[in-house]
Amino acid sequence: MRQVPSATPGPIRQCAELARKDLRLELRAGEALLVTAPFGAVALLLVPLAIGSDAPLLRQVGPGLYWVVVLLFGVLVTLRQSAVEGPAQLAMLRLCGVHPAVRLAGRTLANAVLLVAFELLLTPVAIALYDPDLSGWPWLLPLFPLIAVGLAVLGTLASALAHGLAGRTTLGALLVVPLAAPLVLGATQTLAAARYARQPWAWLFLVLVIDLLIIVATALAARQLEESA
Amino acid sequence: MTRILFGRRLTVVGVVAMSAGLVAAMVAPPDRVQGDVQRLMYIHVPAAWLAYLSFAVTLGSSVGWLWRRTARYDRVAAASAEVGVFFTGLAIVLGSIWGKPTWGVWWTWDPRVVTTAVMFFVYLGYLALRRATVDSVARARRSAVFGVVAFVQVPIVHMSVVWWRALHQPPTVLKPGDPSIDHVMLATLLLNVLAFTLLYLLLLRARMRLAVVEEELERTSLGEGQELAGNAVLAPRLERS
Repeated sequence: MRQVPSATPGPIRQCAELARKDLRLELRAGEALLVTAPFGAVALLLVPLAIGSDAPLLRQVGPGLYWVVVLLFGVLVTLRQSAVEGPAQLAMLRLCGVHPAVRLAGRTLANAVLLVAFELLLTPVAIALYDPDLSGWPWLLPLFPLIAVGLAVLGTLASALAHGLAGRTTLGALLVVPLAAPLVLGATQTLAAARYARQPWAWLFLVLVIDLLIIVATALAARQLEESA
Repeated sequence: MTRILFGRRLTVVGVVAMSAGLVAAMVAPPDRVQGDVQRLMYIHVPAAWLAYLSFAVTLGSSVGWLWRRTARYDRVAAASAEVGVFFTGLAIVLGSIWGKPTWGVWWTWDPRVVTTAVMFFVYLGYLALRRATVDSVARARRSAVFGVVAFVQVPIVHMSVVWWRALHQPPTVLKPGDPSIDHVMLATLLLNVLAFTLLYLLLLRARMRLAVVEEELERTSLGEGQELAGNAVLAPRLERS
């Protein structure tokens, strides 16, 4: 006897579908990867013009500048216009029985995927422009997704808090950037520790703990944020 | 008791305590190394502690609003955050003035200094979020959520001198064991903490009263803009008239 499929998909499936919807929208709009990423690359290009083309200095400050650009422009990725749901879309999601936490998780997943892509696009640009010391590069493999997830959750939270407000992008950035300071610290110190042959586990652990704290806080606030949407 | 705490006597007690704190700060023995510059501690440290207290009150009131949905909690949270931003700014400015003769610079990339500046901007974001939201319930809800999240910065600021190597001195009073400070200086410091706490209560009360008036004004001005129900029905008109 064939089992009748459930009418409502489970939360993981819902989350994946919502993330897929966001990524499709981004594919059509190209806001994050075709506009914000080149903008970030331009920022990386402008810095040497401002501080001088001293190659040893640029080699030294390059990794830090890269992470600052990822933070500042990554916030713009999370606050992109194509990730804003109108009243009708929100009403439909509510009628479909999508839990607020699942909706935010879907948005976070899409943001995280886009931020990893954003980091990967900017990496060769930073390497080409600053010629940084690449010893300890394997530590970037866990670092990229951890930083992307942290920024993605903070961006989702700020986007929900500033939903429908005038100046949403600037206000959202003001809410995210100071709170994301430990992420930048963790990212830069992980690479610095690896470069000086020290174990960077403590810094990776810091980033992981911050990610988990923000995830728990956002999940707990999901219903409240849904009410203000 | 409530009348003593929140009535007119609070102003009198506050002024007396502030004056006593100021006199005590002037007559306390100077630091052996820093001399009279160290007297800035009697304002800088209470301002920093009161900033922590203000943000803790914002946290508690934000949780209270999310739980009870009472407007009073929102007013307390907002007023306390504003006062907290003032005290944080005061602590940063005084720290900078103190830093110039002792460290030789107005600003240094010390973990305590940087994390305090970050905390200042986090709560400026909180105030900006409140200002940007017009609807009072949405404003209370959003700022309550952010008020809870933002508090994570406070323990980071306090522990920064323990977690990282810092120029800023580690905790001397809020630490396990006997405070590592001269007892006369400690008494003067605690007197100033008391005086600043009373100042905090005064500012909090004044800001909350102002918030009540603002809400009243908001209600009145909203009412003025609305048309009377009878105006919705228009007299019939001929076409092209």
